[in-house]
Amino acid sequence: MGRFIVRRLLGMVAVLFAVSVLAFLIFNVIPNSDPAQRMAGRNATPQLVASITEEWGFDEPLPQQYLTMMGNILSGDVISYTNRENVDERIVEGVPATFSLCLGAALLWLTFGILFGYLSAVRAGGWLDRVLTVVAVTGISIPVFWLAAVLLNYLSYQAGIFPSGGYVGLTEEPLDWAYHLLLPWLTLAVVQIGFYSRVLRSNMLDAMSEDYVRTARAKGLSERRVMTRHVLRNSLIPIVTLFGLDVGVLLGGTILVEAIFNLNGIGQYAFESLKGLDLPPIMAIVLFGAFFVVLFNALADIAYAYLDPRVKLEDSAQ
Amino acid sequence: MSEPLLSVNDLRVGFVTEGGLVQAVDGVSFDLAPGEVLAIVGESGSGKSVTAQTIVGLTRSPNTRLDGSIRLGGTELIDADDAQLRRVRGERIAMVFQDPMTSFNPVYRIGNQLVEAIRAHRPEVSETEGRRRAIELLDSVGLSDAERQVNRYPHEFSGGMRQRAMIAMALALEPEVLIADEPTTALDVTIQAQILELLRQLNRERNLATILITHDFGVVAELADRVLVMHDGKIVERGDLDDVFYAAKDAYTRQLLGAVVRLDQAPSLRPSPGAAPLLEVRDLVKHFPVKRGLLFDREVDRVRAVDGVSFSVAQGETLGLVGESGSGKSTLSRTVLQLLAPTSGSVRFEGREIGGLSRRQMRPLRADMQMIFQDPYASLNPRKRIGQIVAEPLRLHRRASGSELRRKVQKLLDRVGLSPAHYDRYPHEFSGGQRQRVGIARALALQPKLIVADEPVSALDVSIRAQITDLLEDLQEELGLTYVFVAHDIGVVRHVSDRIAVMHNGKIVEQGPADQVCEQPSDPYTRALLAAVPVPDPRETRARRGSSAL
Repeated sequence: MGRFIVRRLLGMVAVLFAVSVLAFLIFNVIPNSDPAQRMAGRNATPQLVASITEEWGFDEPLPQQYLTMMGNILSGDVISYTNRENVDERIVEGVPATFSLCLGAALLWLTFGILFGYLSAVRAGGWLDRVLTVVAVTGISIPVFWLAAVLLNYLSYQAGIFPSGGYVGLTEEPLDWAYHLLLPWLTLAVVQIGFYSRVLRSNMLDAMSEDYVRTARAKGLSERRVMTRHVLRNSLIPIVTLFGLDVGVLLGGTILVEAIFNLNGIGQYAFESLKGLDLPPIMAIVLFGAFFVVLFNALADIAYAYLDPRVKLEDSAQ
Repeated sequence: MSEPLLSVNDLRVGFVTEGGLVQAVDGVSFDLAPGEVLAIVGESGSGKSVTAQTIVGLTRSPNTRLDGSIRLGGTELIDADDAQLRRVRGERIAMVFQDPMTSFNPVYRIGNQLVEAIRAHRPEVSETEGRRRAIELLDSVGLSDAERQVNRYPHEFSGGMRQRAMIAMALALEPEVLIADEPTTALDVTIQAQILELLRQLNRERNLATILITHDFGVVAELADRVLVMHDGKIVERGDLDDVFYAAKDAYTRQLLGAVVRLDQAPSLRPSPGAAPLLEVRDLVKHFPVKRGLLFDREVDRVRAVDGVSFSVAQGETLGLVGESGSGKSTLSRTVLQLLAPTSGSVRFEGREIGGLSRRQMRPLRADMQMIFQDPYASLNPRKRIGQIVAEPLRLHRRASGSELRRKVQKLLDRVGLSPAHYDRYPHEFSGGQRQRVGIARALALQPKLIVADEPVSALDVSIRAQITDLLEDLQEELGLTYVFVAHDIGVVRHVSDRIAVMHNGKIVEQGPADQVCEQPSDPYTRALLAAVPVPDPRETRARRGSSAL
């Protein structure tokens, strides 16, 4: 276990380094991305641009600029190019909204993904399975931005059942918090509910033809116990790995969903920074997101070893 | 004769498939008396396993058509509801399955799976009480240190231990009937002997009525009182053990018994091969390092899969390589062909050292040494046509193309007893034996000098095995091939080999002419291996058992 953690921590540092270098380089090769030009405004004199370049160190060699920026991000001194606010503070402010969104959506997608998948598999071939298949495939096929727009239009602007957006703190108004987040949660979870229910269904159908399931039946166990303790339990193991990988999808999804529902979290901040080609927040958010993706993958591996006694962490770390 | 415990009458089991109704069991009737061992023998697809599983309703599904009667002590089971069946399963009729590897759920401890079986029927039994009972059961089937074993997971057990645990689980509720479906087929022969002894002991001590499903007449001779032979869903022969073995009325039964390769029947003498060695292996070693370390892996141990092996095979000769699972025989054959890089030692092919050659240097030599694999189902790409599969080596080595290629492939198919018209068919359209013929045609395509056959017949039915070994012998005679024939079944190996090498723990413990190794074995392991082989001859089995009891 100790070896596993050490290896994973080193891996995490390597991934974060690679991701940050990549983000930095991409930013520096896109056209019209010269930050000095943008900061100086539309009708800036060359002198102004030159003085900004000088002041912010944009004329220094790229590795030097990269190191300066990483130092600033890690020490909390990094400043946005566009509005000069402290990037790290903005991210911390966005944490409650983004975490509420991610947590709720993940809970929703796992619960319904597993529930639908289980029912589909147990009733494979029956009418319930067919209905759930249509639901799942529809869910997978719906573009997220379209779903968000439709939900907002019908349920909020026209029917007025849900608020049109905004974030209310959990500690201030718990009910209002959930009420405001329900549509964003749904938007973010729908695709994954469909996807997970299909994956679980096929895992379970495979598991049903396993010899140990026949053994369980031959022991005289009830059908429900065979399905839950033997079929479902074993079919959930790959779902854990899948979820570890999908944390990235979850975080990526917040960019769109937060922007549409105006949740003012980290996703929306990322959206705004991307629009303004504002490098410091982009770098900081990419690192922040990558950190959680790597972390959750490590947690998924630990959970995997716990769920499947045949797997040893020492082996999976190689 | 006492009142039958279980009475099956005109049982019919059909499965509705896309191609229509498949009648897997077609009018089977038999009785089982208390304390009796009834063997149901047949090849794959004969309906023997379906019959056994139908007794406890394991074949039920919306696509199953059941008919007839299954009475257990006066209760009709064929139309019993699920709750009734559940009370019978495990409690009155218990089952042991073929593959102990996959028949336990890998994620639960052995003990928990035993406790689950007990508590499914006796919910009043506490976890602690159940655990105590599980330890007793494991102890009673001969697992040493049951106290500790109860907490281990299935993958931490060997095949033999798992099958013992499976039998312990079957005995948990003291059933009246035990159905053992190919209980020893997946086990090594020495382990098989132990499990058969355990089953015999249970039958004797507990008077446990047993239905033994098997394809192996040797196992039947060891254990059964009465025998049913099934073919295409019907019972074609029934009678007491000796009647079936020595006075079979049915032609299929006689054919099946005749196809069994017996260890004690010497093969026809073959001309002694020429002296020139084609393959010489000296002190070959293949170790797999076990690595561990915080950041950088250090080698902490090594698995000595092949540990200093020497042998040679002469031109036109067949060397049989025998060993149980884990003996290193498969690693050895792969290392000899340089599919695995040897750790040390020398492999000479036609006098040329090939150990340590690079892949590129090996490529032209690959044409001269080919392999035939065990599983004809897994070793043919299901998405390619038979013709493409056989043509692939010819294309890779640029030996032929276009219409010439097709002609060559069709000739090869014809040579191995398939129709050239099979060229455009897919593997799934063929039986196991036909698929193995395709594998042989593929191996022959490049006109190799040496063929390494890794368990080429062990996945096949008995009556098919003889056809395939005969084909291999014909090809050898005609094309002057040299074989290394790797198998766990010393009976089959003796049948095809000129010389035999016995492997154990990565070493060759004995080698010599086939007859000498089988009749005057010098090594204790070889003797144990030979003694464990069940003989398909009840009289001899009794004689053997009698002498060992004295």
